[in-house]
Amino acid sequence: MKPIVEVSKLRKRFRLPLDKSTTLKYRVTHWRSSSRYRDLIALRDISFDIPEGQFLGIAGPNGCGKSTLLKILCKIYKADSGSARVNGEFSAFLELGVGFNPELTARENIFLGGAMLGLTRAQLRNKVDEVFAFAELEDFAEQKLKNFSSGMQVRLAFTVAILAQTDLLIMDEVLAVGDASFQEKCFDIFSRYKREGKTIVLVSHDLAALEEYCDRVLLLNRGEIIADGPANEVTTAYHRMVADHALTVQRDSPSERLPRGSADSGAKAVEIVSVSLLDEQDQTRGRFDTGASLTLDMKLLVHRDVGDFVCGMAILRADGLLVAGTNTFLDQVTVSSTAVGKVISIRYTIASLPLLAGGYVVQLTAHDFTGSKTYDGAYPAASFHVNNMGGHVGLLEMLGSWKVAHEDGVAAGAAVRESAT
Amino acid sequence: MTVVAQGSGTLEAIPRPKSVVQRDLNLVRELSITAFKLKYTGSALGYVWSLVKPLMLFGIMYLVFSILLRVGQKQPDFPVQLLVAIVAWTFFTEATSTAMNAIAGNGDLIRKAYFPRWILVIASTTSALLTFAINTVLIVVVTLALGHLDLGWRSLLAPVYYIELIALVLGLSLLLSSLFVFFRDLGHIWEILSLVLFYGSAVVFPFTLVYDYSHKLAAIAGVNPVAQIIQDLRHSLVSPKIPPMASYIGVLEVVPILISVGVCVLGFAIFHKLTPKFAESL
Repeated sequence: MKPIVEVSKLRKRFRLPLDKSTTLKYRVTHWRSSSRYRDLIALRDISFDIPEGQFLGIAGPNGCGKSTLLKILCKIYKADSGSARVNGEFSAFLELGVGFNPELTARENIFLGGAMLGLTRAQLRNKVDEVFAFAELEDFAEQKLKNFSSGMQVRLAFTVAILAQTDLLIMDEVLAVGDASFQEKCFDIFSRYKREGKTIVLVSHDLAALEEYCDRVLLLNRGEIIADGPANEVTTAYHRMVADHALTVQRDSPSERLPRGSADSGAKAVEIVSVSLLDEQDQTRGRFDTGASLTLDMKLLVHRDVGDFVCGMAILRADGLLVAGTNTFLDQVTVSSTAVGKVISIRYTIASLPLLAGGYVVQLTAHDFTGSKTYDGAYPAASFHVNNMGGHVGLLEMLGSWKVAHEDGVAAGAAVRESAT
Repeated sequence: MTVVAQGSGTLEAIPRPKSVVQRDLNLVRELSITAFKLKYTGSALGYVWSLVKPLMLFGIMYLVFSILLRVGQKQPDFPVQLLVAIVAWTFFTEATSTAMNAIAGNGDLIRKAYFPRWILVIASTTSALLTFAINTVLIVVVTLALGHLDLGWRSLLAPVYYIELIALVLGLSLLLSSLFVFFRDLGHIWEILSLVLFYGSAVVFPFTLVYDYSHKLAAIAGVNPVAQIIQDLRHSLVSPKIPPMASYIGVLEVVPILISVGVCVLGFAIFHKLTPKFAESL
């Protein structure tokens, strides 16, 4: 069977002008200097096929060329050489609500957004009520979009986006940065599309999501495919690459030196050999509910006796925000390296996970008490996803409680004023 | 078939029409209706403004040229000529200046979604055309009812001139919108050129004025398509006594017609050539 996407020797170069020369004055005053620019090669002759029904993930650090690749697939950019062919209908969601106009009513925006997808007014006319029901916006059909909350806008945009029947779905990670409940909806759709055997291309930083949904992941770096295979293998390669890269950066540039010191100063006296995330039943998992138990299980192999040392862990949000971190020293736990050649098993259990929906990564380090010698480090050591339970928003479950009391004999306004002073 | 459950109910995905032309035309329609609506919603008088503007211009020009300067007193129905010309001119200038921004002003759409880019320009032109069509029909009906239009067999050519005008406007719109992405001075340059064209095309005075002053100047002004279209519209719609452009410039009449067609073809060609660079340059 013919693959639905055929990419062959695709090359894309951007010319970034060093000076802006779009005005006549500039052209006249600088007529002699041929415009100067810097070449940036975004994709270097990459080739791959996507068979029908595959769920393909594309990962890679910022600037690796994944967005460029997506835009060439969607025909937004034109390749310099090579070809990218899509054999079938595709829908691209690089951003939701593209083409929507805030001055128009929700109903008018359905016709406009639908037309952007290739659907005609006649087709959409019978569908409008269903769209509003699905987006839970029945009472707002004649409201202007600008009066919608951002959540309502996203619901409408998403509903319109999935209206057109399609063979191939191309999605950028923009989908994953919406609010938690919306993100969950996206993942519901992914699952359903996957079950229906549709071909999906998903670009994401969220490794846990890639592992959970993708049959295959491409890892891009500097415009080249550096890994291509089953999701778990490629994400492991990605973890390794990021960790290696972090260490190289540390060695190469003094300004990026972290207080914990360079990695080679006591290199691999202790080595982190495995990391897994477990639930209450000690089952390895990639997704957790808020409030569930999460155990970080790591195995360290001792190569050399360096006495007692410190083992640290941190949880970061997928975008790199440090959420929480601790180490064995702070928590007054002793870890000793006396048993050379043996494996030390260390577990850190969070009885009730306080994180709300989103993608997170775990960072691990093993270092000495002063922090000047790092024996081993891994970032990201593991990644996980917290399921959306609906309701609370943000990063953390606050576990707070409300109390409302009605006091007699005092006017409401007076009470407010009183409490304000 | 896609059936997705969420909140209340399910949603079944719709197959897109097989014909790409049908999808593109539908998008042109939606975008031009939207542009038309947006232009007139939010203001109390709405659409009326698009009629008030050319009428106001007509009023001022009539006062200055016809009454104060006594231009065109020997011309039959000069005010009606003025009106026909001003409505056509308003379309020309509004359509081209709006189209200039059709690509540059939609950077978000172009960077985030795929559809043939010419749709944006066609939609912008169609939206201006909609206003023009309504204004023209109104003016023709009113002046005809007042007995100021002397229609005859020659009037059958009027639609041809209107089509020529549309081809010219479309070609210029494609040129301006694509070049403006790379060359932002074009906005100012076009404003100045429009002013030159306005007086060079004898919109607000009879073309005879130019001809009587200098035959050579008339030949230069006459080969510009706007002058030719306006003069021939006057001849075919208002009165047979108004000389058509051919009577001033003879066989040179083919030049403006060729220019209109040429601009249209060139517009599509240049637009097509520049299209792949839009997304990267915006």
